[in-house]
Amino acid sequence: MAAATTNLQERTIMDRLEPYLAFIGPMVMIFAILLFMGIAEPARYFRLSNLNLILLDAALYMPMAMAMTFVITQRGIDLSIGSIAALSGILMAFLIKQYGFPAYIAIPLAILMGAVMGLINGLIITRFKVPDLIGTLAMDLVYRGLALVIAKGLVLARFPDLLTDIGRGQIPGFIPVPVVIGLLTMALGYWALTQTHFGRYTISIGSSPESSEMTGIAVDRHKIYAYVLMGACAALAGVMLTGKLNAIQATSAPYFNLHVIAAVVVGGTSLFGGRASMLGSLAGVLLLSMMINALVTLRIEFFWQSVASGVVIVSSVALYTWMQKKDRDGARSLLAGLRTTEAQKMIKFSALLIGLLILLLAVGAGLATDPTPSG
Amino acid sequence: MAGKPLVQMKNITKRFGGVTALQDVNLEAYAGEVLAIVGDNGAGKSTLIKILTGVYQASEGEIFLDGKPLEMGSHSDAIDVGIDAVYQTLALADHLTPANNMFLGNELTKTVMGIKVLDNKRMKSEATRVLDERLGVRLRSMDVQTDSLSGGQRQAVAIARAVYHEDLRLLVMDEPTAALGPQETARTLKLIKALREQGLAVILISHSLDDVFEVSDRVHVQRRGRAVGVVKTAESSVQEVLGLIVGAQDAAA
Repeated sequence: MAAATTNLQERTIMDRLEPYLAFIGPMVMIFAILLFMGIAEPARYFRLSNLNLILLDAALYMPMAMAMTFVITQRGIDLSIGSIAALSGILMAFLIKQYGFPAYIAIPLAILMGAVMGLINGLIITRFKVPDLIGTLAMDLVYRGLALVIAKGLVLARFPDLLTDIGRGQIPGFIPVPVVIGLLTMALGYWALTQTHFGRYTISIGSSPESSEMTGIAVDRHKIYAYVLMGACAALAGVMLTGKLNAIQATSAPYFNLHVIAAVVVGGTSLFGGRASMLGSLAGVLLLSMMINALVTLRIEFFWQSVASGVVIVSSVALYTWMQKKDRDGARSLLAGLRTTEAQKMIKFSALLIGLLILLLAVGAGLATDPTPSG
Repeated sequence: MAGKPLVQMKNITKRFGGVTALQDVNLEAYAGEVLAIVGDNGAGKSTLIKILTGVYQASEGEIFLDGKPLEMGSHSDAIDVGIDAVYQTLALADHLTPANNMFLGNELTKTVMGIKVLDNKRMKSEATRVLDERLGVRLRSMDVQTDSLSGGQRQAVAIARAVYHEDLRLLVMDEPTAALGPQETARTLKLIKALREQGLAVILISHSLDDVFEVSDRVHVQRRGRAVGVVKTAESSVQEVLGLIVGAQDAAA
């Protein structure tokens, strides 16, 4: 009985912490970066212009992270957002440069076209039952291909002021315009998640599609809503990117997919569905932008960004999964798992693989000849 | 049982293609009574209640509510006339709070600046009230995820969802104790008794004759798609019901 009581109390503390866990995680990492940069490069990292740069970079990802939070919470994924952003940007650019559309028409048109692309994604997933991973990955190729077909190798540049204002305008004495747009979409997303049917059903669908179906929720329709929102937000990001660079080409925005998914997952939204944290997604976006900026400030080669993003994704997903598992079946010690026979087999197998690798490297080194090219 | 039946199923037959799942079944449920439906797997229990709750439509036969014939095209039609079911899986979304689960698919709303939004506060207070007043269940906190509740508490949330409809008159419970330990089972049976005292007609489907004899007033036995007997629980025994289920007492029925 005593054991049962302690168990209960422990759970209460976990329960109380649980809603904030998603936010605490990235906040801790943000503070870690702040602390590290405060020691390593305080002068350049904390300059006002650099903080502005970080926000400007983060703003681009905020609308997409907001929408991706809904998609992932519904147990979905969207790997086509980079291409949707590029294609919408290209289409908008052509409308403005080739057909003389006014910018204030072309911009909402671009966002609507993004929404239609999201609708196509949603219909492919719900009607044709193509798994989201494959469906959106294939559509990524389609949208990127169309962008290349339309734009060829062209770089479209020099756009009306309205567009550059959206992309990089500065409200005097305040934050940049895109940051306002980004934060606004985040706030709208938070509102939608907690206060509307769409948000409530997003969580219930991700939590249990069967239960949602049984209680009469239109599961497919709400899934499609999430993909439409995702498409529209990706297109908005495309518009913002075009404005920021004052240029767009078909190969723009190649890293959107994983960057946005990373931000959302780092923020504590579960890839297994049902667990959403809009505040966490905001923190995740800020964290990634701060991390990448820190790498730049430290003059670390650009290509390391990709390595760092990957490591952050894997470690945060592993951490959240581990925390949930500990919560459920009381597995406290990581090391305890290493003593099982299954683990022993795995260790032997890994040792064999690495041993082979070292052996082959040694043989190669032994037989190595002068590598200076002969020709 | 005195008085008129609340719900009457008359000569219900259901065929799936060439298979006859139900043959000429009669069933009566009364307000303030727990009717247990027992029978082996494939005896037609599930089909019977799915017809009663509007999920399936009978091939032949009629259903009467208060003596008036009932036409149901879907489960929501059944809910509209006050017939609902709590399924074995409970149909809960584990990540939502108990209150949000209770109102899932049927949320309370308010209008803020012309926009219809969820009324989370009222859903929470209503859920607390229904759980406490109707089911005598008090949760440690209403702000937890439903998957942190015990099996019995989850059951209570699922039942609360059904009884929240003021006009609920008949509640069907499909194997409510199947996944529960002894303590939780006792609590769930107490809930069923509370619902009976509130004047609800309860139909309980169960494989556990212990549970059936603990809470039911009458037992309806199905075998191979036919109703093979209805006995009063107080005047019967586990042996007799068991005999009906496996068919040893065909003559008696």
